[in-house]
Amino acid sequence: MAATATLYHAQLTGWERIKEFFNAKFINILALSLFLLLAVFLLFPIFAVLVKSFQGPEGFTLAHYENFFTHAYFFQSLYNTLLLGLINTIICVGVGFCFAYMTTRGPMALRKPLKIVAMIPLIAPPYLFALSLIILFGRVGLITKTFGVNWEIYGFDGVVIAQTLAFIPLAFLMLENNIKSLNPNLEESAYDMGATEGTIIRTITLPLLAPGLLKAALLVFVMTIAEFGNAAVLGGRVPFLAPDTYTMIVGEADFSMGSVLSVMLIMPCIMIFIAHNYLLKGKKFTTIEGKPIASEPRKMSPFVKVPFITVTFLFGFTIFICFAVVILAAFVNILGVRNEFVMRHIMDFRSNMAIWNSIRVSFIAALVGGIIGTLLSYVIVRGKFVGRNLIEMISLSGFALPGTVIGVGYLIAFASPPMKLTGGIMILALNCVFRFLAVGVEAGITKLHQINIEIEEASWDMGATFFTTFRRIVLPIMFPAFIAGFIYTFMTAMVSLSAIVFLVSPGYELAAVTIFDAAAYGKIGLASATTLKMIMVVILCMIVLNLLTKFTNLDIERKGGAA
Amino acid sequence: MKAKLSLAVLVIFSIMVVGGSVYAADEITAYMGTSPDNNIAIVDYIKKKTGIHIKQTFQSFGEIEAKVKAEAPNFNADMCLGVGSPLTFMAKKNKWAGPYKSSDWLGIGKVFVDPEGYWYNIGNFSFVLVGNKDALAKKGYTLPTSWQELLDPKWKGEIVMASPLSSGTANMIRFAFLALYGDDGGWDFLQKLDKNIHHYTRSGNAPTDLVGRGEFMLGITSDENVKNRLDQGYPLVWGVPQEGIGYDGTFAFIFSTTKGKQLSLCQKVMDALGDQELSDIMAGIGYMSPRPAANKLYGAMTPKYIDLDLGKAAEERPKNNDIWKSKFRVTYK
Amino acid sequence: MGTNEQPTLILKDIHKSFGKNKVLNGISIEVNKGELVTFVGPSGCGKTTLLRIIGGFTEHDSGEVILDGRSIGHLPPNLRDTRICFQNYALFPHLTVGENLAYGLKVKKWDKKKIRERVDELLTLVQLEGFKDRMIDKMSGGQQQRVAFARALAFSPKVLLLDEPISNLDANLRVLMRDEIRRLQTELSITTVFVTHDQYEAMAISDKIVVLSDGYIQQVGSPIEIYDHPVNEFIASFVGYVNFLPAKIDSIIKETDAAVVSTEYGKLEIDIEQTEFAPGTEVLLVIRPETLKIAPSNGTVTTQNVVQGTLRRYIYSGALAKCHVVLGNDKEVIVDIQDPRDHVPLRENEKVDVTVSRNVHVLKKRA
Repeated sequence: MAATATLYHAQLTGWERIKEFFNAKFINILALSLFLLLAVFLLFPIFAVLVKSFQGPEGFTLAHYENFFTHAYFFQSLYNTLLLGLINTIICVGVGFCFAYMTTRGPMALRKPLKIVAMIPLIAPPYLFALSLIILFGRVGLITKTFGVNWEIYGFDGVVIAQTLAFIPLAFLMLENNIKSLNPNLEESAYDMGATEGTIIRTITLPLLAPGLLKAALLVFVMTIAEFGNAAVLGGRVPFLAPDTYTMIVGEADFSMGSVLSVMLIMPCIMIFIAHNYLLKGKKFTTIEGKPIASEPRKMSPFVKVPFITVTFLFGFTIFICFAVVILAAFVNILGVRNEFVMRHIMDFRSNMAIWNSIRVSFIAALVGGIIGTLLSYVIVRGKFVGRNLIEMISLSGFALPGTVIGVGYLIAFASPPMKLTGGIMILALNCVFRFLAVGVEAGITKLHQINIEIEEASWDMGATFFTTFRRIVLPIMFPAFIAGFIYTFMTAMVSLSAIVFLVSPGYELAAVTIFDAAAYGKIGLASATTLKMIMVVILCMIVLNLLTKFTNLDIERKGGAA
Repeated sequence: MKAKLSLAVLVIFSIMVVGGSVYAADEITAYMGTSPDNNIAIVDYIKKKTGIHIKQTFQSFGEIEAKVKAEAPNFNADMCLGVGSPLTFMAKKNKWAGPYKSSDWLGIGKVFVDPEGYWYNIGNFSFVLVGNKDALAKKGYTLPTSWQELLDPKWKGEIVMASPLSSGTANMIRFAFLALYGDDGGWDFLQKLDKNIHHYTRSGNAPTDLVGRGEFMLGITSDENVKNRLDQGYPLVWGVPQEGIGYDGTFAFIFSTTKGKQLSLCQKVMDALGDQELSDIMAGIGYMSPRPAANKLYGAMTPKYIDLDLGKAAEERPKNNDIWKSKFRVTYK
Repeated sequence: MGTNEQPTLILKDIHKSFGKNKVLNGISIEVNKGELVTFVGPSGCGKTTLLRIIGGFTEHDSGEVILDGRSIGHLPPNLRDTRICFQNYALFPHLTVGENLAYGLKVKKWDKKKIRERVDELLTLVQLEGFKDRMIDKMSGGQQQRVAFARALAFSPKVLLLDEPISNLDANLRVLMRDEIRRLQTELSITTVFVTHDQYEAMAISDKIVVLSDGYIQQVGSPIEIYDHPVNEFIASFVGYVNFLPAKIDSIIKETDAAVVSTEYGKLEIDIEQTEFAPGTEVLLVIRPETLKIAPSNGTVTTQNVVQGTLRRYIYSGALAKCHVVLGNDKEVIVDIQDPRDHVPLRENEKVDVTVSRNVHVLKKRA
């Protein structure tokens, strides 16, 4: 500021006029720049995929689509993908609800442990479960050998199980958040009027949760059909769109067919996204203003308690076992062959570079994503310009975009000058920023809706400029939303595979890809050890982050409360 | 005060993370397609010999081929080190590779050195048949000595090999059978074999580990990791069936887009690859090395090779991929 | 009311703690049929917890809840003949007014026709005819309150539990709704437990008031008893403003049930019903501002029960004027003047005579 002031000293009035202009129009300028960013890094890649799918040697062609629709193989692939998505969505949302209900309404003693178990999978790559299932049920797996079970894990069933376990936490998180903001008095009222717990869940809890359920379903569906680690490792010869896209692009450089498959992958997602937006229009039951109320543990009726406990314990136990065997496998020489304790997988330091790269990419993505998300939500809520709804919809569309497609899109869009980004670290980070933007934006919007605009007006009233108000009032208020976006982006970027696998380049190997390669390769020990190290790193990062926010006095609750 | 201090720590940490590692003075980027272990062995050797660090990431031959094709002419690497013949011949033809005559490769035969200097071959590898000793013994089976034995229904769901779409090894396997049995006979054999194949892996080396761990009984796999896995104690048996095996080179070339300092670094690397020491390393892994060295896998035996035209193999790869897809990607039952 | 009949609701020695925090310490209350009993006390006194225990939402640690002679402490809310109306109404936002009213009836499997009749009846009762198909969020706060009240009445419960039902309404509406609840309650003769933190509301609506503080019952009694005969300083100052004046009993005049007490500001003669005060006891006089009279001083005190002070502040508020009078050096008392327009003019910072009525409540001074 000081430097510019002296620079412009001679034409002070001119500078002042510029300042004035910025002060008055800042929000519009901000909105425009953010929109450009979204257009370049979110819309353009998708658009590029679409164009590519219609592009032949002589311009426009439908040949690729013809190829798709005339081959039973592709149709089978599409069918499997949709079936997988459907089954998974139902199970994940169902089980997620059981967990969320138990951790918000269930007995106090069970709340914490169940919550921890339901959240564990978030800190590991989703295809950890493919690894666990091989360790347990593979042809030389622990269970296969001990109990003589002869169950073929390679195939559709295996993929469904692995994907389900991987995406329960996502459904759980969304639903828990929703149930928490559901006033317990509503359910108590129904209880008081003679309804049994089962009836209450059916007639009160679930209908009120409908928007949350719908959203959780959308998210799980998109993630399931896009994350291909489990399908690639366990699928055997059963085709799915996402791993097929991967083979098309990475194995054969067939960008045309790869794009067609991507378009096929994105279609159902976009359809659901639009339907979801349409269904939720004006149908939001916020039953609690401001802070969520902790519900008193209620005496659950056995008709609800027994099935809920059975479901949560069953899945919780399975998740726990899956993690336990991976940790175990990290110390086994050659699983199933030479079951001896060794440290050599852990001491294999080659994967450390990949983990370090993952941290770097995730950190950059989280930082940039947190900032952009915060600014976007501010623009969306406080801005008064045409196209506000459009910006909102685009920034929230990240929920509905399969990672595979964005990965392919980035590869096509940013491969050649003037926008050449491939081969570097920034393309990895940017891709994560825009894919995971939605969470930060949504947190920001919620936060801003809770805060009266009068607070900002008061600041202007006292003579502060727009920038001062923004820095002094808005940013501190928005900080919790920034943190929410930061943490989500960081965690997801650390473990996500579907998009970045297309974009890694020599020297910028990422842990998620290394583990995937090792797992596909059959190197269980190395894959497990790398996973274990990565889990440790993620936990450590989270602790450090927590401590830092505490020490810097940027404590979420206090800042929010003081505002 | 405490807040300011912590904030400073945060900022420093951010700069550290974002800035990343300090750029090493002598560093090149290479696409390397040998197995992850062998990639590292080569990188370590180059580092020791020349002080040059190679940035690389593991991908199989087919994947590198796809990547290079997709990136052309904006390559994200300085050179390829360990890629198959289809890509190498294509690179020479399209001038994606640039010529360089290395004096350190003088006196080595045509199989390993391109007379025009576009590529160098650091070792020939083959595919072999591997079996899980324990699993075979349990069923009372022995390792087949002829490829035809693999068509026996008793192996149904017990054989793994890589997909020729992504793996260079599998491409070599496919082409070897086409050369052995003729086009029609070859496809017929592959189609019959397909009925017994559990699934096609991404990488040509994967079957070695999968069979070694006992997931599957038999595998048709690249020979480059077999020695290493035997040493690690995997219960593997391997053999060269009587009809013989195919082979491919492991090629290195410098991209024609590499200029200036990076080019001279790449040339230094290329020189180092011609050294006896690298031949010793490669032969130690099980490769047929450019310079004579004791082969740790085959020993003194020279396996029977199927007569191959690598140039034709490279040329027909796209066509064969299409036939493959039309034959093996029909329906899923 | 409760003659020989046994009380409808009996709470016996209820204890409850949340972790280390003891919320209720042995609460025993009886509620007779048709009675409206109010739990009142500052926030955190345990009144809502007690209500939730009666409703079955919170489990008590020990003690008994008896409804119509039957112990119901172990029953879940849906098996109790009690009906609760929450502070935030807890109306189901995804249902219409009619569906909200019908919810409980549907659960109890009433037939459709009967449900329809009952819903119409309820709507008439709370004067909301024609709102049957409205969504809840299209109703005003007061209307929502009526719906919530009607919904709770759907089955004619044995005990109606109202948890600060009107505290979310604005001041005028609050008074209206309060009176209407009272009217319906007496009309339908529903035994009701009412929770509020507003002492005036409690005074206006109750048959019986239970004052709670820190998990203990401070006093149970009719509004008049609570106001005129508080058992301790807490009760006295909890309901309305009160002037405390330390005094000492000089002598008791048996024939007239009067006592002469001396204060720092002069001797007073007051009526005294309590017999436990022997001459020489240190006591506290509880003097309501409206029982004091004030007049400009003419210099000397001659009349009985008059003390002299200085008018420090005079605050006019229409129907009432509040006079802050300083006695002696720094003892401030407040005197209310009803209908101040008819009163002799007073000027701030001038001497005034304050007349204390004989009708003063006396508390024993705590050591």
